[in-house]
Amino acid sequence: MSGLGDDEPLLQVRNLCKYFDSDGGLFGGVTVDREFPFVARDPSKVRAVEDVSFDIKKGETLGLVGESGCGKSTLARTVLRLLEPTSGSVYFKGEDLATISGEPLRRKRQDMQMIFQDPQSSLDPRMKVGPIVEEPMQAHGMLDEEGREARAKELLEKVGLDPQHYNRYPHAFSGGQRQRVNLARALSVNPDFIVCDEPVSALDVSIQAQVLNTMQELQAEFDLTYLFIAHDLSVIRHISDRVAVMYLGQMVELADKEELFENPRHPYTRALLDAIPVPDPRSEGRTGLLTGDVPSPIDPPSGCRFRTRCPVLIQPEEFEMTESEWADVVTFQRAVKRRAFETTDRGEIRRRYFEDVPAGDAGTLVEDALSYIEEERWDEAEDLLTESFADASVCATDEPAYEVAPVHGDGRHYTACHRVRDEAIASGAAAELDAPGSGAIGEAGADD
Amino acid sequence: MSEPLLSVENLKTQFFTEDGTVRAVDGISFDVYEGEIVGLVGESGAGKSVATSSLLRLVDSPGEIVGGEITFKGETIFGLEEGTSGEPRPRDDMLSEEEMRKQIRGREIAIIFQDPMESLNPVFTVGGQLREFIEINRGLSEEEARAEAIDMLREVGIPAPESRYDEYPHQFSGGMRQRVLIAMALACQPDLIIADEPTTALDVTVEGQILEMVTELQEKYDTSFIWVTHDMSVVAEICDRVNVMYLGEIIEHAEVDDLFYDTKHPYTQALLDSMPRPDRTVEELDPIKGVMPEAIDPPSGCRFHSRCPHAREVCREVHPEPRDLSDEGEPMHSAACVMYDAFDVGYEGSRPIETEATGGFSAGLTETEGDE
Repeated sequence: MSGLGDDEPLLQVRNLCKYFDSDGGLFGGVTVDREFPFVARDPSKVRAVEDVSFDIKKGETLGLVGESGCGKSTLARTVLRLLEPTSGSVYFKGEDLATISGEPLRRKRQDMQMIFQDPQSSLDPRMKVGPIVEEPMQAHGMLDEEGREARAKELLEKVGLDPQHYNRYPHAFSGGQRQRVNLARALSVNPDFIVCDEPVSALDVSIQAQVLNTMQELQAEFDLTYLFIAHDLSVIRHISDRVAVMYLGQMVELADKEELFENPRHPYTRALLDAIPVPDPRSEGRTGLLTGDVPSPIDPPSGCRFRTRCPVLIQPEEFEMTESEWADVVTFQRAVKRRAFETTDRGEIRRRYFEDVPAGDAGTLVEDALSYIEEERWDEAEDLLTESFADASVCATDEPAYEVAPVHGDGRHYTACHRVRDEAIASGAAAELDAPGSGAIGEAGADD
Repeated sequence: MSEPLLSVENLKTQFFTEDGTVRAVDGISFDVYEGEIVGLVGESGAGKSVATSSLLRLVDSPGEIVGGEITFKGETIFGLEEGTSGEPRPRDDMLSEEEMRKQIRGREIAIIFQDPMESLNPVFTVGGQLREFIEINRGLSEEEARAEAIDMLREVGIPAPESRYDEYPHQFSGGMRQRVLIAMALACQPDLIIADEPTTALDVTVEGQILEMVTELQEKYDTSFIWVTHDMSVVAEICDRVNVMYLGEIIEHAEVDDLFYDTKHPYTQALLDSMPRPDRTVEELDPIKGVMPEAIDPPSGCRFHSRCPHAREVCREVHPEPRDLSDEGEPMHSAACVMYDAFDVGYEGSRPIETEATGGFSAGLTETEGDE
């Protein structure tokens, strides 16, 4: 039916965007001002997912990582059309889910299932486990009553529960077992694709390992394709074939697992990897921790969204500072922005932030900023530094998208960082996977 | 070695429920010395949080501390003696509720909870809450307390502390709120801080920042910590000594390096083996079989025997107390497992038994009602 070869992607996501209105409700987005016109309505949007493209091949597991609030779950829900995408397309077996709705979409759902983070709240406490597992089959008109019961029992056994538990209520199960019930329910309609949204993060480590092992066995047995969301990189490394890293609604890196973990190219991926604690007291511990918070997705930074925290921001072309001078300037600019120090004494600040104050234009600008600070004009100092340094960098003016040659394996390695521009084998749209709509997609669509 | 700052002897906390007595903490003993970070590790249900709330006598009904002794800097936080008719009653030198409230909690022993949103009052400003806490506990004037509060906020890395002082908790991110709680805990410069899973709800990057900050502040103020967590990686990173808990008991105690490199107890080993590793790709994980039994009806003998791969007949019969297994001259390393010669209960000659770990995987359902 699907007519997909082994290498044909099962799911293709292209330039997917999802914005939320932040001015919902009666007074949402309304700000009161002291000056005329006193009340303003600010039609701002939360840009939760912006311009994301990726493929998932049949039978593989794509891991999706990122910090909380980066849009992982929104992306997953938009892919399944549980949320309406703002723009972009999602091709599932060649059909664009973004354009269908109603009954055709409902029927499509049989092939796509989802497992949620909290195993407790995703099971109806007043339904027995058996009927819970049977419900999706009923909704999609599969089998007769007896057949459904037989299948439910078989599935319970498959996910590592006793078929005798058919008549128990969810509260009689532990967290790990509830997650197994969720697995059985998702499998009941024989789906091709399962989105797992942090399925093991609410479980204890020992239980987590049991559930992960079961998920891998089921994948092999039923030829499943997983989109596996987690914030725990150890779990991702264990279960994924390829890994995508998200930051503030955008994909910053996508590569094969080994390649991503052993040869990360994006500074954010590196920071994430460095931040993972290793269960070994003799390891060196975490190095080069990121500072600062994730910016608001309502007004994300221009260019590369990670640039406000990036440890290797690129120097604007008009300056000729050494690496260490530039690093000092960046640290100083961010410190002023965060108001991380109190003193307004020029000498003291210089001692704290600069080994040598850079010469030339850059030096003049820093001196100007120091004068502002001396007069306690913090906002002006901040604006001056931000405009002349941070916003002038190529990281702020251009949006990065590159493909580099992989070191491990032969998969494609996409990374959104200007640092790799010199060795990139493709850039811009070409780096973000092939354009859809041609060849295979069109034909598969016509087949249906 | 000098006197311990905090000493816990055979502490027992039980909950009296309709279904029976839950022995949540069942006879644990440990010490905390000045300036060290002591870890308390275990899965959910091990009794970690009940143990820490018992230290501050914060256990609510139907729970009750039923036995043991807690001594802090020479003062008795909890202690029982035999009354005239033989029933246990609080000792005379035990601190009263008022003394606990005024002298100990917050001032001498501070606690940081897992969920920062629930520990901060949503209707007061962050700065106001911190200021009030400092004002009451340190007897400063409002102005001084405010200045101190802003200093503390800056110390824990809150950006632009003067302007954020007047913001409400919901305007802070999770990591920022946890920083505020740490500021609050440190504000009275207590001798001991109990941190109950403070980084569990946070992202790794934020967790890293917080742990780094805690290490720095700990060196600066020389505060002792009891660090409660289920995460072995966090233990490896910051703890000096570690207590591993299973079902209300401490089953292994060692210095952190020994715990990882010379693991004694099968449970600790199983816990370490079941973790996915970030630094290498593992083909298949080796989980602990089964689930933790209920504390209301713990298994006889060694409580871990029902899930232990090395279980033998004797494990079902003999209940081991932790014993020091270290060689002479080495730091203490105790474990409660009859596998070791120090116990001498005939483990070698005993017959291996069928358990969930040795037999097939049977999912081990909790035995509650459900068939009706």
